[in-house]
Amino acid sequence: MANGTTASSGLSFPRETFAKLTPGPYLHAHLKQPSSIRPNGRQLDEHRIPTVNAGSLTHSNGSAVVRCGDTAIVCGVRAEILLASDLPHPPPDDLDDDDLVEHLGILVPNVELSTGCSPAHLPGNPPGPLAQSLTYRILALLHSSDIIDPNDLRIKHLEANTDEDLPDEGPRQVTKAYWVLYIDILAIALDGNAIDTAWTATMAAFQNTILPKAHWDQDREMIVCSPRLAEATGLRLRDMPVASTSAIFTTASPLKSGDQAESWVLADPDGFEEDVCAETLTVVLVSRRDGTKSLLRVEKSGGAVVTTDLLARYYQYWVTSEAHSALA
Amino acid sequence: MPPTLTLHPLHRADGSATHTTPLFTILAAANGPLEVSRRDELPEEAAIEVNVRPCSGVGGPRERWMEGVITSLLKSLVLVNMYPRTLVQVTLQVTKEPGMGGLKRAVKDVALLAGLGNAAFAALVDAGVALGGTMVVGLGVAREGEVVVEPGEKELLGCGSVHAVAWGMRGEMLMAESAGRFGVEEWEGVAGRLRGDAMGAIKNDEEDGDDVMDGEVGQKEPWLRQALGESVRDAGAWRETG
Repeated sequence: MANGTTASSGLSFPRETFAKLTPGPYLHAHLKQPSSIRPNGRQLDEHRIPTVNAGSLTHSNGSAVVRCGDTAIVCGVRAEILLASDLPHPPPDDLDDDDLVEHLGILVPNVELSTGCSPAHLPGNPPGPLAQSLTYRILALLHSSDIIDPNDLRIKHLEANTDEDLPDEGPRQVTKAYWVLYIDILAIALDGNAIDTAWTATMAAFQNTILPKAHWDQDREMIVCSPRLAEATGLRLRDMPVASTSAIFTTASPLKSGDQAESWVLADPDGFEEDVCAETLTVVLVSRRDGTKSLLRVEKSGGAVVTTDLLARYYQYWVTSEAHSALA
Repeated sequence: MPPTLTLHPLHRADGSATHTTPLFTILAAANGPLEVSRRDELPEEAAIEVNVRPCSGVGGPRERWMEGVITSLLKSLVLVNMYPRTLVQVTLQVTKEPGMGGLKRAVKDVALLAGLGNAAFAALVDAGVALGGTMVVGLGVAREGEVVVEPGEKELLGCGSVHAVAWGMRGEMLMAESAGRFGVEEWEGVAGRLRGDAMGAIKNDEEDGDDVMDGEVGQKEPWLRQALGESVRDAGAWRETG
């Protein structure tokens, strides 16, 4: 050929062309080999090892960049003060502590994919369905996992007794304000599996988050933060949930009889695999400090391959796998 | 109490259904196959569009997420290859929901997904869109090791975990959404129980329920089969009189 590459014989074409033209058969051709190596060179159950760079944003209270193969996501946590007197609906006194965060809405995640991170998400566009559902999933996980102690987000004040109160009571502790955590998640590069990486980035940024010491100034009637780093406290996390996503590739189709259908479960799918696989399974696992493990979330849709046994096997594998301990 | 299903409450849509459970009432409308905008057109299959409208206000990230889940559920159910380069549109309007009183949002959202799935399915049946099979989305909660199927607001309030699982007629799991804190055995227990109930809901009266899970006691009445069967009988009634 004119450009010096070796001329291919008449009816064959290079693998990139094969992948572009017919992505499904291309993936199938790889998987049906006896050893089942994926086009990206990984084993079926092989995850990409994430690299975490914590504290990379200087102007936020906590931040992390997580890179997982060609997916890179940056998460910044910014803390702002919400005065209790500004609340339109103050929390009722009998509200459970665990419900406080959700009632006040003081964890505000936002996922931004319109950064030019992948050709599927045009830069500058409003958040599409994927970005919005990622935002929702992160928020729902934050609420249902109760990883943040609401007392860490309270700014309390010891109120001295006034004359109207009973004289024998000591000073009362009242919550004057709350910390609101704005969690901004930006995808720098997206090559599949946004939810796992975004969640890992959120967790890493939380671990890195420092809240300044704040107190209520009675005379000025406002919250005052101490500028001294030595007085600031880190956000304590109760536990560290891990999200794991798999995509399922199947040859089953309503056009064919179901007997010869074959399926493969691909851990941590990349962008190419995500486009070809309709069915996905996301599991969020948490291990408590006392060693008990439980599931926080199971999300599966798009096909009929995953069965209850498969989830149990997946769980077993995952509990024993080193990937979990490496992440946690 | 089994869910109540009313078919064809809307006259202008191709198909519609109202699905009522103790928790939610959902009005679903299905239209299809329709002309598709060029951006969404798929050369070999029908595009599926799901719109979820909340009880009050406009939809936000939560509704986008629900739309995504229901879309991928319907994609595995509708025979999309029969309608290439067209659009199947499903609109789901929540008309009744339990009061917020202390209910965790994540729990309520998973509970709502079950209703949305069932309503969308019934509307598609009513619209005459070709489907690969029947399905039922079951809802169950686990509290202190005990499983409650089709929970009311009271059961939902103090539950440890909530599970919405869609079962197809051949016993395949089409969708699973669970939230809360639960073990894998607990999850399997709820999913198995919901499977039994789903098979019961579409069980054929004439046949002996051999294909239904063995040892399943207290079978629910086949409410889905009855509701769909009635509508088929109504649709064919003109033949008898004519």
